[in-house]
Amino acid sequence: MAATVDNSLCGRIDALDLSARNKAWHRAMKAAPWRVCADREKWTVQSWRETEGEDLQLRRAKLLACVLDNLEINIHPFDEIVGRPTPFVIGCATAIDVNGDYIPGLLSDGEVALTLDASTTLDDASRDILRESIGVFAGKTMREATERAWESLVGTWARDAEAAKLKDPSLDAAITGQSTSTLSWSKILRVGLRGYIDECQTRIADFIAREDADVSKIYFWQSAVIVLEAVIRHARRYAALAHELASAETDAAQKAHLLKIAEVSEYVPENPARNFHEALQSMQFCNLGKMLENPAQNNCHWGRSDQYLYPFFARDLANGIPLETLASQFADLIGRWGTQTFVTGESQRESHQINFGISSIMVGGLGQDNEDKSNELSYLTLHLIALLKLSSPTVCLRWNKKTPNWLMNKAIRTNLETKGGIPLFENDEVVIGNYVKDGIPFNEAVEWASLGCVYPCLPTRAEQYGAEGIAAFNLAGLLHLVLHNGVDINGKQTGLQTGDPRGFTSVDEIYGALLAQHKYFSHRIFWLGAVARNVQSDYYRTPLLSILGIEASMELGQDLLIPHPDYSLYGMSDRAIIDAADSLTALNELVFKQKKLTLGELLDALDSDFAGERGEELRQLCLRQPKYGNDIPEADELVRRLSEDSAKIIRDYDNAPFRRFMISREGLAWHYFGGLGVGALPNGRRALEPLNDGSLSPMRGADKNGPTAVIRSACAANYSGVSYASVLNQKFSSSILGSDESIDKLVAYTNAYMAADGSHIQYNIIDSAELKDAKANPENYQDLIVRIGGFSAYFVQLSPSIQDDVIFRSEFSL
Amino acid sequence: METAVVTNIQGYSIHDGPGIRTVVFLKGCPLRCKWCANPENLSPAPQVGFLQNLCRGCGRCAAACPNGAIVTDGDSHRIDREKCAGRFACAEACYYGALVRYGEELTSGEVYEKARRDKMFYDSSGGGVTFSGGEPLTRPAFVREVAERLRADGISVCVETCGFVPRSAFETVLDTVDFFCYDLKFADSARHRGYTGAPNDRILENARFLVNSGAEVLFRRPLIPGVNDGDGETEATAKFLKSLGAGGANLQLMPYHRMGQAKYAALGCEYELPELDVADPRDTESVREKYESLGVNCTISK
Repeated sequence: MAATVDNSLCGRIDALDLSARNKAWHRAMKAAPWRVCADREKWTVQSWRETEGEDLQLRRAKLLACVLDNLEINIHPFDEIVGRPTPFVIGCATAIDVNGDYIPGLLSDGEVALTLDASTTLDDASRDILRESIGVFAGKTMREATERAWESLVGTWARDAEAAKLKDPSLDAAITGQSTSTLSWSKILRVGLRGYIDECQTRIADFIAREDADVSKIYFWQSAVIVLEAVIRHARRYAALAHELASAETDAAQKAHLLKIAEVSEYVPENPARNFHEALQSMQFCNLGKMLENPAQNNCHWGRSDQYLYPFFARDLANGIPLETLASQFADLIGRWGTQTFVTGESQRESHQINFGISSIMVGGLGQDNEDKSNELSYLTLHLIALLKLSSPTVCLRWNKKTPNWLMNKAIRTNLETKGGIPLFENDEVVIGNYVKDGIPFNEAVEWASLGCVYPCLPTRAEQYGAEGIAAFNLAGLLHLVLHNGVDINGKQTGLQTGDPRGFTSVDEIYGALLAQHKYFSHRIFWLGAVARNVQSDYYRTPLLSILGIEASMELGQDLLIPHPDYSLYGMSDRAIIDAADSLTALNELVFKQKKLTLGELLDALDSDFAGERGEELRQLCLRQPKYGNDIPEADELVRRLSEDSAKIIRDYDNAPFRRFMISREGLAWHYFGGLGVGALPNGRRALEPLNDGSLSPMRGADKNGPTAVIRSACAANYSGVSYASVLNQKFSSSILGSDESIDKLVAYTNAYMAADGSHIQYNIIDSAELKDAKANPENYQDLIVRIGGFSAYFVQLSPSIQDDVIFRSEFSL
Repeated sequence: METAVVTNIQGYSIHDGPGIRTVVFLKGCPLRCKWCANPENLSPAPQVGFLQNLCRGCGRCAAACPNGAIVTDGDSHRIDREKCAGRFACAEACYYGALVRYGEELTSGEVYEKARRDKMFYDSSGGGVTFSGGEPLTRPAFVREVAERLRADGISVCVETCGFVPRSAFETVLDTVDFFCYDLKFADSARHRGYTGAPNDRILENARFLVNSGAEVLFRRPLIPGVNDGDGETEATAKFLKSLGAGGANLQLMPYHRMGQAKYAALGCEYELPELDVADPRDTESVREKYESLGVNCTISK
């Protein structure tokens, strides 16, 4: 494809602006109050009461069907594609049936927090509905059941570890029931939901004819039929509404537009899509069903849309459909999925700092024949992303050695347009290579998609990652435990007693104690994961996500929340490796090599958080010790060693009968959250300050030898050998992209890192002065997007300390 | 093994020749251009710089200096350059980066080892290593030693020069350098002397020698508003370039900027062009067009 790219089409794409409809939506979206709707709750309660005593799989299917048949729907005048989970431009549904009464503020003043700085107030009628729902579901959700099971296994340890920010708080943040990232879009568009229904019916008939044994399979296929039929009926409700609106419409063009919507919604998703418009509309109805099945985990993931949509796109263009029409439809759905909100728990808002549900879209990458598949739709995707200027979706360019420079050049220009981070670059060959090493066949591995930030997943396998809700832990926090004999920041004995820290006589002893804490800690986390998995399927099922998400569900006749030895994958993120390694390097230099301090003196300084003049003196001394990110072999080598030893402990855990844990070191804005669990460190970081952002970025302000030295250190750390993903953020001043030539040089720079097995890189292309001004005058910078360890976010919506972090990161003025 | 005093080895340099380059800045320059943006590279000896804005007035530098060269001045300090012996005890003592060391004596082997580390970027971008300064050809044997080893690794080498060095310096490095960036500050020798402290005849002769030797040369003109951007200068410069034949066909304009000003203050010396405005891009463009109209391929460095 690269060789035959249509340059004139790319030129026409470069000239495209957003359509009038897209712009009308953009204005409405910016102005729209964020709404939380209790409507769905009314129907979950009704259905749950009606199905009392039935099989769980069927109950969950009927619950979704009841919601889809009754939920209030709306079509907005600017809609190219129709379908939203609420009647509002920005809104989300509550899901007490999934997670219990987790919505903070619900029962007190009705003020519901949506993000760090956005909230909404529920009216009395909605609160009454929610109260009733709590009466039905509270105490009976998997989250609550999991916490009870954890308590019986490890007492208060799970809560304590979470309070000390040593493990991820995802469970209380409502990340449950997440098991896959992207629906099987190719199959959905190829066979339509009727094709799925027919296949389920055939399997049921065969089962009966064969007199098979495992009757739960029948329940699964039946549940799938129920939800698939309900999605088709839901689409028809939109068709009917479009007809109704059309008959009252006086504007001829809008009337025709509504009638077209009606025709398309009548046809898809039941039938195979015949063109680009039908494909996008079919996707939206399926995704809508997925969102309403589990609103707490409603991420809208595109996967490889430039691949499965390309035939529709190319055929429509050949048939004379204007490029502008296709672009407008595409932009509508990108924008809609990028602005989907969800109700979050407090700790998720702290740890993720995101405003919208995570949506992700891929461009480029290798195909089944091991050739790069970048095409004009990849190019259009980047172009529309630059025009939309949204913080979501995350856009991932699948870099490989055959990625064409025309796509790379557009990608760097898109970074400049969006002020950075979009798209990020992730190494196709590293990800595919890791999957193949883990026993996944190439033909599956090559279709990987990113889950949100940079976490890769396979559309063909269930991802049990989020379902455990415990999938990350904090190596800087573990070092804190070592330096306090297992006592955490809150004074609790959360860790192993590895001995009086003042008694250590070498850095090797401390390193050994760190690995001992790691094993103690990670194994407990894995136990918690196993408990969560066991509990989950007793309380919850996702028939629609299963049937449309994982193709194997059909043959297995099994909901994907029931773990499968082959099809379930497990992930873990071991974070803050750089903080821990730099701290050990500094400690070794100061105490054991240069002997400038005794260990006791250093520990006293840390415990006082470098208080007083002497404390500041010691902190400066700590800061001046060798740091990762400067191409200093000793510092980088310790990062590599800790990376590999940490990976080994995780990989060695026997997860039988399931697959071993995969490691993916993504970042989010977690470094801020994780820092709250860590006292002062020997690398010179003060207590409770943010940790390093990303998993492979240097300590902030410590990378003094320029960007190429950071890259060389990153290569030396060699995360790619053990981790599917690792996040390296680099901030460049926009002055480096002042000319076509300098854009080509950043392309060459990116290519060089990736060719050396770098797994991920993303750029912030921003001036410090601009960021400071944005902090002082947020009203003038509503559109300013920055990257925080894998996510884009609106700068002005970040907390002040994260804003300072972004400003502080050493800027390479070139 | 040759040595040289190096102030900086800067990776990801994208305005100093083709591709991504590492620039090695050597200390010492025979000219004294009034607009010089790298005043720390004028003197051949290491120097200490003091960045007032980073000073927190802790006094550790004064305590560390064996010669009493740090003078307390209210809440802050200044350096008594007469007393400073260049031992950098103050810079070692400073926690805040307010006292910096300009220049460190390195062997050609040490510079080679550092400069070659970015080979992955040179290969992907068609880049390489550039010697700059100061005037790198004040140390031609050093440049030659490093360049020979870099070229043996397949790394291209560029030298940025003011041209005001003996011809023998060019002869020493000629076969180890891939191309030169060669400054032509004035066509008019008297004005050259007025603004740089030296006449330009040797510079013009060396330019001709270099072109006639078959070296690849990009001529560059630091464009100082109101100083060397007038029509008379432009016409005379174009005439000289055209007299060089095909080898003199290309000129790059380097728009004036004031980024070096802070370093003058750090070194405790005076910046003589403080009133000058930075170049207006429109004026630079019109100068570029003038050169083009005179038959010179002219670009602007960005």
